[in-house]
Amino acid sequence: MIRDITIGQYYPVESKLHSLDPRVKLVCTIFYILSLFLFNNYYGYLVAGVFLIFVIAQSKVPVSFIFRGLKAVIMLLLVTVVFNLFLTPGEPIWQFGILKISEEGIHFAVKMAIRLIFLIIGSSLMTFTTTPNHLTDGLERLLGPLKKIKVPVHEISMMMSIALRFIPILLEETDKIMKAQMARGADFENGNMIDRAKNLVPLLVPLFVSAFRRANDLAMAMEARCYNGGEGRTKMKPLKYHKNDYVAYMIFIFYIAIIFVIRMVL
Amino acid sequence: MSIILDKINYSYNNGTAYEKQALRDINLVINDGEFIGLIGHTGSGKSTLIQHLNGLIKASSGNIYYNGADIYDKDYKMKDLRSKVGLVFQYPEHQLFETTVFKDICFGPKNLKLDPLEVDLRAYEAMKLVGLGEDMLDVSPFELSGGQKRRVAIAGVLAMKPDILILDEPTAGLDPRGRDEILDQIEKLHRETKITVILVSHSMEDVAKYVDRIIVMNKGEVFFDDEKRKVFANYKQLEEIGLAAPQVTYVMNELKKHGASVDTKAITVHEAKEDIMRWIKGERR
Repeated sequence: MIRDITIGQYYPVESKLHSLDPRVKLVCTIFYILSLFLFNNYYGYLVAGVFLIFVIAQSKVPVSFIFRGLKAVIMLLLVTVVFNLFLTPGEPIWQFGILKISEEGIHFAVKMAIRLIFLIIGSSLMTFTTTPNHLTDGLERLLGPLKKIKVPVHEISMMMSIALRFIPILLEETDKIMKAQMARGADFENGNMIDRAKNLVPLLVPLFVSAFRRANDLAMAMEARCYNGGEGRTKMKPLKYHKNDYVAYMIFIFYIAIIFVIRMVL
Repeated sequence: MSIILDKINYSYNNGTAYEKQALRDINLVINDGEFIGLIGHTGSGKSTLIQHLNGLIKASSGNIYYNGADIYDKDYKMKDLRSKVGLVFQYPEHQLFETTVFKDICFGPKNLKLDPLEVDLRAYEAMKLVGLGEDMLDVSPFELSGGQKRRVAIAGVLAMKPDILILDEPTAGLDPRGRDEILDQIEKLHRETKITVILVSHSMEDVAKYVDRIIVMNKGEVFFDDEKRKVFANYKQLEEIGLAAPQVTYVMNELKKHGASVDTKAITVHEAKEDIMRWIKGERR
């Protein structure tokens, strides 16, 4: 049940995209998302879509796996589409009571849906191809300059990587405790809202206890190995740009250039 | 009254990059009143197998019959099965959540919708069965020691009065004394109530001492399924899959190699002692 959520998971295969420097992927993902809001016609979506397909092909992540991630946000998509469809002002082409659909509404709803889908696929491609450790490493380097204005960049990224690391552990723990309580006759699926909320107590109490225990153990283990923050800390594998990373940047700049041309010309 | 597993297959994470077949064509019959040891290397599929027995995991293919009824039948009530097949997970103390020991033990029987008097009665009985004194009733389970917590958790399952008790490494992480106490109590319970017990263990000594029949798992398949002595007689094959015979069996084999006329079938220290004494007395004569 919980395991069906693929957003944010890492998909272990070897590909050009996997071997890129995490900084490249972070920067490109952010600008790709921004680029989706730069244009307002279908040519732009075509270019963004082609680019996305190119990246998916390079990533070697199975398409079915990517789309499974979309399933989780289908409700959000539907709500957005419905609201845009009915609530965009304009000349109505279909009307039923207070519900009316205008041509502008249809266009707006379709564009919004495509934008959201691209946004979700684009950003999940980054997590599919980058391990959480790499991701926070990249983030730490990118935010490095903020250290000058006393932002605790290292601490933030350490907290992030610990949080990310704990997600699968806590999921597994939830699964285990759930099963243990089901073996004692607990029922998590039936009953009304209040019953169900009450039934969560046997799950949540042990889960919190175990989360605190794990946090405690981890803190102890880190202290035992003399961890004392980012000051003077070196990396076993420092991030370094390679040829492929520059190539990736060039391809991406090329994409952004096309988007700008479309925005200016069309 | 039995559990029959018919060609059970199971794979984790079906259809993803992490897919892994955990069980392959498992055929087993578990009869009433048996004391079974389930052994196997880490990742051999023991835990997955026992979760099938009370329906927590549904097999990818194959059938399971409990007392003749197909548990994957649409009308089958899983809740009944779970009250009859009690499963104690590894480190069961992690599932405790109530404010007092007694309330926690009541959780299981309460879920069976029994009347409150019966619930209390069963909880008392279960506490006695695992050797928890009445002074423990109103203590918070989080204040107890590791061994006591584990007893509370086992009592929580016993209070449901299962016909079959499955324990997944009930002694992991306990000190030797706590280990012996818990296993002795389970043995006593088996002897007195004729409850079927399946004990998952990594300790060949424990298995040799307590169980009658051993099921050996390897890479998701049943490797051996026989009377314990017959299984341990194949200790060379057990070694190949990362297991072993009890240590005394090795001692006996070495003695025999050096010319002593002892029986290599001994699997507990007690048996070995008797046999060596018999040999020594024979020598003197």
